[in-house]
Amino acid sequence: MSEEILRRFREIEETRDFFIVGRKVARVDALDAVLGRPIYTADLVTGRPLYVVAVRSRYPHARIKSLDVSEALQVSSVRAVFTHRDIPGVNDAGSLIPDRPLLAINKVRHIGEAVALVAGEDYEKTVDAADRVLVDYEPLPAVTSPFEAMNPDSPRVQEDRDNVVTHFKIRKGDVADGFRHSHVVLERTYKTQAIDGLPLEVEVAYSFWGEDGVLNCISTMQNPFDVYNKVVSILGVEKSRLRIVQAATGGGFGPKSDETPIDVAAYACLATFKTGRPALAAFTRSEAMTVQCKRHPFTITHRVGVDKSGRLLAWKALLVEDTGAYISKGHLVIGRATFHCTGPYEVPNVWADGYCVLTNNTMAGSTRGFGAPQSHFAAEMMMNELAEELGLTPLEIRWRNMLRVGSLTATGQKIEDPGLELCLMRALEASDYERKYLQYKKMGDGVVRRGIGLALLYHGNTLGPEGDDFATVLVRVERDGSVVLQTGLTEFGTGAITSLVIVAAETLGVPPSSIRLERPDTLAIPNSGPTVASRTTPIGGRAAFDAAVKIRHAIASVASEMLGVPASGLEFRESRIYARDNPGKYLGWKDAVAECYKIGVELKAVGYYIAPPTRWDPETGQGSPYNQYTFGALVAEVEVDTETGVVRVDKMTAAYDVGRAINPLGLLSTYESGSIMGLGYAIMEEIIHRDGYLLNPNLQTYVIPTTAEAPRQIESIIVESPGPMGVFGAKAMGEIPVVLPAASIAGAVANAVGVFIRELPLRPDRVLKALER
Amino acid sequence: MSGVRVVGRYSFILNGRPTTVEAPPGYTLLETLRQILHLTGTKDGCSSGDCGACTVLLDGKAVHSCLTLISQVEGREVTTVEGLAGSKVVKSFAESGAVQCGYCTPGFVVAVEALLRANPNPSIEEVKEALRGNLCRCTGYVKILDAVKMAISD
Ligand code: FES
Ligand code: FES
Repeated sequence: MSEEILRRFREIEETRDFFIVGRKVARVDALDAVLGRPIYTADLVTGRPLYVVAVRSRYPHARIKSLDVSEALQVSSVRAVFTHRDIPGVNDAGSLIPDRPLLAINKVRHIGEAVALVAGEDYEKTVDAADRVLVDYEPLPAVTSPFEAMNPDSPRVQEDRDNVVTHFKIRKGDVADGFRHSHVVLERTYKTQAIDGLPLEVEVAYSFWGEDGVLNCISTMQNPFDVYNKVVSILGVEKSRLRIVQAATGGGFGPKSDETPIDVAAYACLATFKTGRPALAAFTRSEAMTVQCKRHPFTITHRVGVDKSGRLLAWKALLVEDTGAYISKGHLVIGRATFHCTGPYEVPNVWADGYCVLTNNTMAGSTRGFGAPQSHFAAEMMMNELAEELGLTPLEIRWRNMLRVGSLTATGQKIEDPGLELCLMRALEASDYERKYLQYKKMGDGVVRRGIGLALLYHGNTLGPEGDDFATVLVRVERDGSVVLQTGLTEFGTGAITSLVIVAAETLGVPPSSIRLERPDTLAIPNSGPTVASRTTPIGGRAAFDAAVKIRHAIASVASEMLGVPASGLEFRESRIYARDNPGKYLGWKDAVAECYKIGVELKAVGYYIAPPTRWDPETGQGSPYNQYTFGALVAEVEVDTETGVVRVDKMTAAYDVGRAINPLGLLSTYESGSIMGLGYAIMEEIIHRDGYLLNPNLQTYVIPTTAEAPRQIESIIVESPGPMGVFGAKAMGEIPVVLPAASIAGAVANAVGVFIRELPLRPDRVLKALER
Repeated sequence: MSGVRVVGRYSFILNGRPTTVEAPPGYTLLETLRQILHLTGTKDGCSSGDCGACTVLLDGKAVHSCLTLISQVEGREVTTVEGLAGSKVVKSFAESGAVQCGYCTPGFVVAVEALLRANPNPSIEEVKEALRGNLCRCTGYVKILDAVKMAISD
């Protein structure tokens, strides 16, 4: 019976009109930030903590011959120095794969690798003491090109592991046959650079013993449970003796889901564990830019055959990804990049090889987009070059090949919804793309030339093959009728948690403002899976829905008695519970809650959701690696100054198929945010390694977009083509808008000046050089 | 001299109130505000003058508190984001969706306040120019510029 009612509620909820979903709901917590209230980790430090400073490698690859800490210990106010010998548990800090020591043992494998920690009372003196830890290095040859590293004769980066970590394959149809029937075959190589996700708040962790004998650690991060599990093992303590709490987090973008939040938490906790004192471990900006996981640099070679009409017949791809000295998420990023390497197009014959390779460069990991920006840049440029070769427009070639309902992707997965076509139509209409493309192509000799570019996207949703795609959300109703929502999924500026609030509010029929969020706390809540892969709204939303439905069910059973109406005939809205067939008959939300408390009905529920497992064959890559896809189309208009080489982005028109717009305000922010982050990737940002050394780990020489680079206009178009997995049909959106800007801006530059620039970013010198050709 | 800390005494007006603080002379205004006075609204994003998160008003003009020594503010007037509560700039930022992670927000609020005090009716180009030194990684600046427009028209 009760299962029956739960099911009814779910059905009703999924088919009725929404009261709150899709309305504009302001962020609940905006005011605290505007007023500068103490909400971030470093704001919450009380008393005088020990400062923990890392001693970091000066070489990209070296043997540590000896390490002398005696001079550092002489510095006044220094309380302790730790090396790998002082780690009580397991000396490993790798977020998924245990290949990365927290403190180097006898070797360093990239510049900036942590060798020792100094803890002292005074920050400046502790930094000074860290300089006095004498490390005797014997430099070793560094392997810094992934192609070199792939050579079997190359020295190994990690002694017990091949430099090629993963080889991802797609084998579909018969590419040789496809090439034989092709009218044109083009081969091109595209390169993308490393960038830093650059959350504005750097990594910082603050730890202290609680009175209950629990070691507390407050920190800035995306995945509290990853940090928790690693620190438990590094300290070798009982799970119940550690507690990780996420403070307000000043940006995530991927790096805060990878390695460095584990590092700072472990540094601080180790110092507190050993000395009993509160401890603060915070990166400097340049330290963060050195060791934060970067977006992977890729070299992608495509060989593609088309028939006379522009239909794709065969696509061969080689993707080489430099993941740096430790794997982090590189083995998964290569999977996403390879799955998406042919772009959102139907190709009957595909052969792709993707390699994740270790080098002595600094680590790369998850950075917003997770391999998709790289693979879309290469695929979309390839499509533009093919169009040029065949005398088609970029739109014509896309129109002929794009994924539609019933199309098969490179992995042979059938597309179930028309999202891509809907996005394309809306973006074309809003941007007047085709007319402008032809117009700009014709006029070509002014100093400043205009161009317009089009790029299309598909993005396999959430984790798919990248991990267990589950979420847990706790909802409880207090005696006064207020609702509390808590989850281990985290907010770091995307507003995604607001979507969970909206889902709960919708289901319970109460205003979002009556729902309070509690901070993620590993002692208070079960693991909710990682906050990555744009999962929070679609997957976390399902868990929030599940929790809210359970509560609603509990309240309905009581309200049904009070109103004399069967539970399935009740409707929850506007803080009232109505008899659906007789709207004059209703009960206040608070009265119903009070009655529940009176008769002892518990109003507390754990909501859970796990996505259906995805299946694909690792030998052929064939199968359905994702449960649903987000689609999108982006048009960029640029001006290229042919004398200075400067590219200015004037306007972006972005249409994304979000499935269902749960939180439209949040979506607009996400569109704008991703668009400009993608713009930085396209034209200016680049972390430069030379022979393993970093040239620009600072904000003077690593430049990100400011108001000066912001386009005059970003037009955001919401398309809704519901997917089968996400809550109320929602699709993954957090990362998506960062994927296409590089592809569409590079396309626009080609339209403006008639040359294809195959390497990112489109820096002025590169543009000028291309113009000379 | 190990262990002995040289401290200076500095007096200035902080958010409208005469304030005297003891701090090592090498301390920046940012360190003094956050660590000694526990006014943590002013954020540290780089400590090198490149991000704008630490922007405060010094005699009404926007400066980077991470590059300003505490000794330089002696006898002068400092306003931090905490001193702007209730201002129309704060209100417009809170209401226009200009806050995502919020870490850059106090710096922007102060920079906009400085701009509007000097030029109550700036053009969009002037606004963009005045905010060039403030980095935001989250918003794409669109909503921030909307907030400024709202504050101007208020
Ligand atoms: S902290 Fe002062 S400008 Fe970045
Ligand atoms: S809101 Fe996050 S940096 Fe601006």
